[in-house]
Amino acid sequence: MDRSPPPFHKQGHSANARVIFFALLSIALMVVDSRMNTLAGLRQGIGNVLYPAQKTAQAPRDLIAGSAEYMAEVTRLREENGELRRVEAMNARALLQVEQLAEENRQLRALAGARERATVRSVLAEVFYEPRDPYSKRLVLDKGLNHQIAAGQPVIDALGLVGQVTRVFQFSSEVTLVTDRDFAVPVQIQRSGLRTVAFGDAARDGMELRYLASTVDIREGDRLVTSGLDKLYPAGLPVGVVGPIERGGNNEIVRARVEPTANVQHDRMLVILQVDTTSVPPLPPTDDDDGGRKRGSKR
Amino acid sequence: MNRRHHVSSRHDYQLPPVNYGFIAMTFLVAMMLNLLPWGRLPAIPDFVALVVVFWSVHQPRRVGIGVGFVLGLILDVHNSALLGERALLYSLLAYGAWSMHRRAPWFSIGGQILHILPLFLAAQAVVIVARLATGAPLPAPQIFLQWVSTALLWPVADLLLLAPQRRAAARDENRSL
Repeated sequence: MDRSPPPFHKQGHSANARVIFFALLSIALMVVDSRMNTLAGLRQGIGNVLYPAQKTAQAPRDLIAGSAEYMAEVTRLREENGELRRVEAMNARALLQVEQLAEENRQLRALAGARERATVRSVLAEVFYEPRDPYSKRLVLDKGLNHQIAAGQPVIDALGLVGQVTRVFQFSSEVTLVTDRDFAVPVQIQRSGLRTVAFGDAARDGMELRYLASTVDIREGDRLVTSGLDKLYPAGLPVGVVGPIERGGNNEIVRARVEPTANVQHDRMLVILQVDTTSVPPLPPTDDDDGGRKRGSKR
Repeated sequence: MNRRHHVSSRHDYQLPPVNYGFIAMTFLVAMMLNLLPWGRLPAIPDFVALVVVFWSVHQPRRVGIGVGFVLGLILDVHNSALLGERALLYSLLAYGAWSMHRRAPWFSIGGQILHILPLFLAAQAVVIVARLATGAPLPAPQIFLQWVSTALLWPVADLLLLAPQRRAAARDENRSL
């Protein structure tokens, strides 16, 4: 081709026409994707085709991590083992107590006629990779439709709530972290029982409470747990600890910072709680789209 | 023989035609480099963008806006970003590279970097404005750092991506044409 004489007339469409076409197509995609859920199929298709390449690209890291573990000295492992045994012994007592409390709780609930809280199935998942989108705080996990993961399911670590599954591919799923700007979760202040909603605060890598009345009983250091009101997050999962509280002119609370309890930035292994997302009522239609922002509990 | 199409830079003014398979392979390698688990390390270069711009400058009749669009869309899915964001970015990059394909190769490598760095920054700025229009906030300014590191990889791209053609040219240098 290169050796042939150049075309006397231009072939195909001019670059100007093509850039306008593809730029408009891109912008149309962006608008549709930010307002509607109609591009999920396209995303799924590309994602499933891309999966083998993604898997291959993560291989070097897994190899390095694997060999590093293999090289770890025996003494360190022995030390760790001893430490774990000690912790296990300490936990055993607590576990026995939990069993006893659960039994007691069951009986009390039966007495009170309350519906028994179903135990939630859960899946252990590993962080597949961390996407590089500067606008969001997300993780991709290595379990997907093949493990019956569904969008909407909560994700926790050993310390508390980490986020929520927002997209599911065949072999992977995407978790929106509690620190994402579009994340929201119904919470309850453990001390006072006050119910409110905690939002992600991407700028500070934390969370925040907004719009509280001046009379509200809230203090720095209060613990927040999920309230379970949305029937999606099981009640009582630790979410965060209240930090500095900003007050406005009339002493009303403009916002209270919340430090997430979970180790959101450094987790490698996470647990997906497979709650039944079908029992959650559908979102009400949002005509007054507040600036095109999606809410965390969106499914 | 037309001279313009053989002139690839002022240093090697006669390069043999490029192999299609080689171009495809460079895209594949760049894609794998982008898919590596970089996490949130700052200033990680965008290898795919570099290769799109490189071939749009050196092979404008083969690699262009359409290729950029498709690769960008794939990376949007990988980054779980808004669909179309990187597709727009790469389309603009390919267009910008096309518009300088007759001029940039005549400069030294340093001069070429000074051509492509503003291109990267301008395209990123346009995408940020487009995201603002869809309701996103301004991202952290560190987003521009990756383009500095990408532009600094230009000499490496020049060395690696033109190597097969240069090698072929060197082997034939005593050929009587």
